[in-house]
Amino acid sequence: MQISYIAVIILFCLGIYTIISNKNIIKMVMGFTILESSLILLLILISYTPGGTAPILDRQYEIVVDPIPQALALTTIVIGGSVTAVMLAVTIKLYKRYRTLNVDKLRKLRG
Amino acid sequence: MNRINVISKKLYKIGLVVSLAIFLLFIFYDIHNLESNSKRYLSDHYISEGVQETGAINIVTSVLYDYRAFDTLGEATVLLTAAAILSFLVPITKDKMRGTPFTIIVSQTTQVFIPFLAILGMYLIFFGHLAPGGGFVGGVVIALIPILLTITYRVEFSEYKFKPDKKKVSEDIGAIGFVLIGLLGILTGSNFLANGQANVSLGDAGELISAGLIPYLNIMIGIKVGAGLAIIFNSLIKEK
Amino acid sequence: MIDLIFNMLMIFLLITAFFMVFTKDILTSVITLPIFGAILVVIFVILQAPGPAIAEAVIASGLTTFFFVITINKTEYEQNE
Repeated sequence: MQISYIAVIILFCLGIYTIISNKNIIKMVMGFTILESSLILLLILISYTPGGTAPILDRQYEIVVDPIPQALALTTIVIGGSVTAVMLAVTIKLYKRYRTLNVDKLRKLRG
Repeated sequence: MNRINVISKKLYKIGLVVSLAIFLLFIFYDIHNLESNSKRYLSDHYISEGVQETGAINIVTSVLYDYRAFDTLGEATVLLTAAAILSFLVPITKDKMRGTPFTIIVSQTTQVFIPFLAILGMYLIFFGHLAPGGGFVGGVVIALIPILLTITYRVEFSEYKFKPDKKKVSEDIGAIGFVLIGLLGILTGSNFLANGQANVSLGDAGELISAGLIPYLNIMIGIKVGAGLAIIFNSLIKEK
Repeated sequence: MIDLIFNMLMIFLLITAFFMVFTKDILTSVITLPIFGAILVVIFVILQAPGPAIAEAVIASGLTTFFFVITINKTEYEQNE
């Protein structure tokens, strides 16, 4: 499972790089989505124990994976969806007002 | 001069991200070493005692709606806030979707699809304590019905079928019902949102009607999430 | 065997993420988003987490894509430079 932690790191840094370097606001929101996915993946990776079964105990099992990070991951997914919706609504609002989605042009308009 | 400036800025950003990656690599190396020989006392308690204490065989649901139900109330409040922000940001206007009108194939397929979506959403909500799923996911699947109506036909038809006032009322019913079910615990002399501690009859684990108050909380969350997401989507589409 | 599939899925996840970020056309990158989500769903199922897998399939790769497509429809469809 070593490679998967490295994948989490790469996804996290890719999300941060997208947010700080991209010019388009929609791409920046996509960077937020990637960052969020990497955090969810990290939570699920922490919850996994080798040889475990899913936490649905219809009978007694020997090894069960950790249920707490899975509940937290569920919370993260739902909140992430609503936060993305709010960010995209603000994006549409900005476009209607300034007629551009480029961050540099938006900054120049501010003066 | 300008080009050198741009290149140096880009190199600066890449260097920042790479240094963050190296920093995270060291931290994760430590976490990986910690994880292999650490004890999980709380999780072990949930796994060994959870079925007797809550009556739900899906431990994730019993963590979400019994042990940590207060967090779920906060999560539902975040959704309510998002829906409120979107209806505040967007004035009530007609929709302005660009694009071609759909052919008869799409509209007929939508009509065939909608009952299956309703059954799938209901199944996910009602079996939330027995199978993976739960109120949030079932609510999203139910919210897909007005979204499909909005995309295939226009927003007027969708709002004629599902009135905005009724959606707002049902979202409020979901939120208030969650709190009222939580207050039942206080009435029986225990804590807020108590289930097994308040001597609610838990039933046999694995049955459809079991686990005390968890199915009712699931239904309330499902109503609330479905109505809230439908409001969010129609607000986004009505932005002029 | 399952380790091999898992590692290959991780590599596919990274490839889709990089494609999503570095492609020029913004509609292409939005359509890559549900593929990213679907690979993540398979990874969750392999890691024994069916609840987050269902939530990810419905919310993150279904509903969020709807939101992005609506946003592109509302704003001007322009090439990313």
